[in-house]
Amino acid sequence: MHRFNPEADIKPVWKAYAVPYENKNTVLGALQYIQEKIDPSLAFRYGCRYRRCGLCAVEINGKPAMACYTYAEDGLRVGPLSGLHLIRDLVVDRKSFFEELKKYSLYLEPSDGHNARGTPVMEPEQGARLRSCLECLSCISRCPNRSSGEGFGVPLIYVRLAQLHFDPRDRKDRLAQAKLLGIDRCRNCNKCFCPNGIAIIKDAIKPLLGG
Amino acid sequence: MEILTCHVLCVGGGGAGITAAITAAEQGVDVILASKEPLGYGDTKASMGMMVCPGIEKDDGPGNFYRDMIEGGELLNDARLAHMMAEQATEALQVLEGYGHLFLRDDEGKLSSKVVYATGGHSRRRTIGCPPGGGIAIGNSLRGAVARAGVKVLEEIVVASLLMNESRVTGAVCYDLPRGEVLLIQAGAVVLATGGGGWLYYPHSDCTPGTTGDGFSLAYEAGAELVDMEQVQFIPFGLTHPSAMCGVFVGEPNLAAPAGVLRNRNGEIILENISTMTRAAVTRVMAKELSRGGGTEHGGLLLDLRPNLTSEKGRQLWEVRRKRGQMEVVRLAYGDAAYRWEEPWDVAPTAHYFMGGIKIDHRGRSTAPGLYAAGQVVGGIHGGNRLGSVSLAELFVFGQAAARSAVNDCKGVRFSGFKHADCRREEVELLHSLPGKKGGIPPLRLQRAMQQVMWDKVGLARDKKGLVQALSEIKRIEEAWPQVAVSEQKNYNQEALHAIELRHMLVTAKMVIRSALLREETRGGHLRLDFPGRDDENWCRNIILHKGNGGLEARTEVVRH
Ligand SMILES: Cc1cc2nc3c(=O)[nH]c(=O)nc-3n(C[C@H](O)[C@H](O)[C@H](O)COP(=O)(O)OP(=O)(O)OC[C@H]3O[C@@H](n4cnc5c(N)ncnc54)[C@H](O)[C@@H]3O)c2cc1C
Ligand code: FES
Repeated sequence: MHRFNPEADIKPVWKAYAVPYENKNTVLGALQYIQEKIDPSLAFRYGCRYRRCGLCAVEINGKPAMACYTYAEDGLRVGPLSGLHLIRDLVVDRKSFFEELKKYSLYLEPSDGHNARGTPVMEPEQGARLRSCLECLSCISRCPNRSSGEGFGVPLIYVRLAQLHFDPRDRKDRLAQAKLLGIDRCRNCNKCFCPNGIAIIKDAIKPLLGG
Repeated sequence: MEILTCHVLCVGGGGAGITAAITAAEQGVDVILASKEPLGYGDTKASMGMMVCPGIEKDDGPGNFYRDMIEGGELLNDARLAHMMAEQATEALQVLEGYGHLFLRDDEGKLSSKVVYATGGHSRRRTIGCPPGGGIAIGNSLRGAVARAGVKVLEEIVVASLLMNESRVTGAVCYDLPRGEVLLIQAGAVVLATGGGGWLYYPHSDCTPGTTGDGFSLAYEAGAELVDMEQVQFIPFGLTHPSAMCGVFVGEPNLAAPAGVLRNRNGEIILENISTMTRAAVTRVMAKELSRGGGTEHGGLLLDLRPNLTSEKGRQLWEVRRKRGQMEVVRLAYGDAAYRWEEPWDVAPTAHYFMGGIKIDHRGRSTAPGLYAAGQVVGGIHGGNRLGSVSLAELFVFGQAAARSAVNDCKGVRFSGFKHADCRREEVELLHSLPGKKGGIPPLRLQRAMQQVMWDKVGLARDKKGLVQALSEIKRIEEAWPQVAVSEQKNYNQEALHAIELRHMLVTAKMVIRSALLREETRGGHLRLDFPGRDDENWCRNIILHKGNGGLEARTEVVRH
């Protein structure tokens, strides 16, 4: 387990914890056990306990995964999502992405004349699928094209842009936005990773690159 | 210490708080939205995303919907609030779609009778489904809408208590979790949208960890009235194990499909024809069987879905559920055979929703000046039982109402700067001293002790003896609070958060228990083993609690319809 307290530690330390075995228990269960029974100072986020909120994303053996959706096994290494600002132990900064929502207007900019009950709205299936992105930030942590400044939140920004691109009520040119952010760099990369099954490349990157 | 000032402070980053904040900001006043979790999470994001929309089927409308709510709520509803809910539900859907969300449409892109279905307690088909992600999609849209509205957002900031000037609420004392600092927010009006109290029953709850009942306790301490706090909804089917997944929601009564049955530990059938029953009715049967000792080693009953597999219709239903991904959670917890319905599921009712809460008028005003409320923290709309898919709609109806009144009423308020008396100096010092606080007991351990008492004695089935014991055990835990120990780090110290939450939970727990003791009958979510029948003659009454000079005071009021 990864422990880090910026007030006291210069760099993170790895610590081993023994948690009793329980059939089909999850990594989240193990973290809860440690916090409740061994070391109350361990910090981690979680919410729904069944992959419906995205708060429990961590790295398990070096790979992003949802703690609540991964079985606990002997010898697992659990650490925070890498590449994001670390606050403490398994807790990474989530506020920066909210800033990007504002900066890149990652919200519906409705065109005139759309109202919920009157006008029919046909959203392609891809759009609906992208709506179920948990915003767990795993994809950001794995992206080789992520910059440290402007647009640090790709590919999550692209997922949002594509979802808005597919929303027939939205009037902004999302393809142009993606281009400005440098989506061309993604053309041959193919390294997008989502632990929750969002087809980032197929449903977001390719359509934003123009099909 | 940082001090912020705004016209309207909205507390809670779920659907209700976000709606209130956006609505207030649209009126041009200064708004702060503070949430102890990241914005857009809470139960709103974890929900299934189903929302009521009456009037799509030809013979449906607000009138029918209202009657269903009253019947489902077993007459305890506040008629005026229920009317408002019924009349404005359709508008709620439009508000949410305006925030960026999109509900399922038919092949022509319309909201039509092809996309509505009936859920428990609704006499018509009037529930609209969500795209696959359910509440996830709603949470994402809500975050976007806040960004669009330009509201000032404070994430992971917990409101520990409210500031008062005489009897008026004037702001909040907050604890900043990432920094470990105290923050004062002075406000012309405060809207509480802190959600419910499901976490009082952890692990027997499908709610998110922030549902520690903070809003109930904040309102109580500010002198506001609360109504029918004994009415807690336990939804029939939650998982019982493994430990990290206990309480997690697996389904409504209709999950049982036409032929599913419930069995006790000995394999005897205790309930059939489940799919047409309401949540409360199924839960009551299960509660009685569990209190008779019929539960399994995991404290559940066995939901046997195998009989469905012998019919074409049953097998089709399995396929539908598989496609919707509704049973993935069962596969994770119980394995493949359970997933295929070939093995019974160990299930128990799980705390889902607080029908009781802050008493408001039709404009979202509590009885404490300067204090407003919206969302699950409000009481009275649903009486003794909330019908499925109505809660999400209430967030937008009452979120808007509360914000409009808050803006209106705070226009005349002048900020005169802080008077020392307002500042709650002892509270600020206490919060400051939390990181590094010496004592013998981790706050989480006390939380678990309290939750155990609530589940065992104030849960599914209650009686006088158990409730009296529960009250004294809660008081003992309260006396132990000063001995909580918190480690020294200031940044992101969750032990400090747990200690603050525990204080809120204890206040809320006492209100639930006191109210449950008073209601000597069985109605809605409240089952008294020692008063097993519904007593319309004496108990068509609301129980109203508030903080008097001598502590918690209760009275009852006849329900008017
Ligand atoms: C598993 C599940 C499925 C559901 N499915 C449906 C459904 O399909 N349809 C439906 O209509 N309803 C459903 N519900 C119910 C519905 O989701 C909730 O009632 C509703 O979302 C509550 O919204 P809210 O805004 O009142 O509270 P929440 O969304 O819970 O938000 C509360 C907010 O307040 C914050 N907060 C709490 N205390 C403090 C404090 N002291 N200081 C600062 N911030 C604080 C929290 O961090 C959180 O941001 C479901 C509930 C669950 C648990
Ligand atoms: S706790 Fe919500 S996704 Fe894991």
